[in-house]
Amino acid sequence: MIEKASVLIVDDEEMVITSVRAYLELETNFEVHGFTEPEQAVKFLESNLVDIAVSDYLMPRMSGIQFLTRAKQLQPEATRVLLTGHADKQSAIQAINEVSLYQYVEKPWENAQLLMIIQNGIERAQLLRELRATMSELSTAHSSLKDVQKKLLKAFL
Amino acid sequence: MSQPSNPPEFANELEELRARADSLATQLAQSYKMASIGRLLAGIVHEINTPIGSILSNNQVLYRSLELVKSALANGDKDSLAKANRLVETCLSLIAIDKIACERISDVVRGLKTFARAESSEVRKADLNQQLQDTLKLTQGEFRQRIKVETDWGQIPQVECHGNMLSQVFLNILVNAGQAIQGEGKITVRTRHEGDSVHISIADTGPGIKPEDRPKIFAGGFTTKAVGVGTGLGLALSKKIVEETHGGSLHFESEIGIGTTFHILVPIEQKKKAEG
Ligand SMILES: Nc1ncnc2c1ncn2[C@@H]1O[C@H](COP(=O)(O)OP(=O)(O)O)[C@@H](O)[C@H]1O
Ligand SMILES: [Mg+2]
Repeated sequence: MIEKASVLIVDDEEMVITSVRAYLELETNFEVHGFTEPEQAVKFLESNLVDIAVSDYLMPRMSGIQFLTRAKQLQPEATRVLLTGHADKQSAIQAINEVSLYQYVEKPWENAQLLMIIQNGIERAQLLRELRATMSELSTAHSSLKDVQKKLLKAFL
Repeated sequence: MSQPSNPPEFANELEELRARADSLATQLAQSYKMASIGRLLAGIVHEINTPIGSILSNNQVLYRSLELVKSALANGDKDSLAKANRLVETCLSLIAIDKIACERISDVVRGLKTFARAESSEVRKADLNQQLQDTLKLTQGEFRQRIKVETDWGQIPQVECHGNMLSQVFLNILVNAGQAIQGEGKITVRTRHEGDSVHISIADTGPGIKPEDRPKIFAGGFTTKAVGVGTGLGLALSKKIVEETHGGSLHFESEIGIGTTFHILVPIEQKKKAEG
């Protein structure tokens, strides 16, 4: 059902990316794009569609919330997940409100839980995109109907 | 100190009072130490949870991969063997990650141990470059996001000292530097061998200390920080540890808008306490 899903992971720790990538490659056929520099991940998002963006919270220069805010501007349909190292509920709540976060996961993370969140997140993003595509199809159909209507009106009046 | 001989009962009482005061001072130092670790805890927890997350995840992947390798080997055909090979490569890279992750955890734990150790009255030779590195591990989580730490380790000899006490001094000064820096900034740690001392300097790019505050910062209880953030004890205790306990010196220079540098000088050898 899920088609060539694309997952973006941002964490300033290379080890997190390597571990999550190894797990996802073993259990799924998702495309995994990992970045240790949030700035590079933003560049990637500017020209590549992803279904879900998973970001660390504490990173140098750009926090996870700042990154996910950029991600939301660039690809609003992509699901956003925060991976936090300390049980900092306060910042998670702030994030949920600010970047309409889908989920937050605490480190150390549980692979099965992370996988479920990622799978659901991908499905959600793909459904949202489909919905948007259908809606724009509908509105084109609607406007071409209007055109026909106009022509008919012109022809008969 | 030459004292006029007190009547014995007064001498006893005085002795007892001194011992009580000493033990209170130790308790105060101890609880201050615990409080300063407590404040860094969120950062420390983050520093540890990241490698633990990796190790736990890798453990699962290694297990699954080896199961797959096993069945691929049982199949024995060319495709299966190629797949087994790829899995083994992944496993090897995860094992390398696990090693790094374990080292990261033990670095942090070593940093903590330097503090948790009971105050030893014993003087030992210590590598202060190593101790500073261990202490920086504790502040790393807290600083990570906004403060760049630059280090310049000089060739320094081992120093006879109470290592855990000096680590406490380093932590106090590093935490102050981190708290002083608003937003982004830099802390520079430098060590040098100078004559019969080791010179450690910790410089920050914070706002500097106001001229009217400069004479007060080493006084116990002086703080410009909010309740719950500052206690005003850090520098007073640090001064005592460096100067009274080790016969060294602790001073600073500060410029408004530029930053502050603390200088710690510790003699390489402790003078044998002249007794008798
Ligand atoms: N690096 C620094 N930059 C600016 N001010 C500092 C610095 N270090 C110490 N101070 C000042 O000295 C005061 C006393 O420091 P300290 O004894 O460690 O107590 P505390 O940190 O609990 O306030 C601080 O409140 C602050 O005003
Ligand atoms: Mg302090």
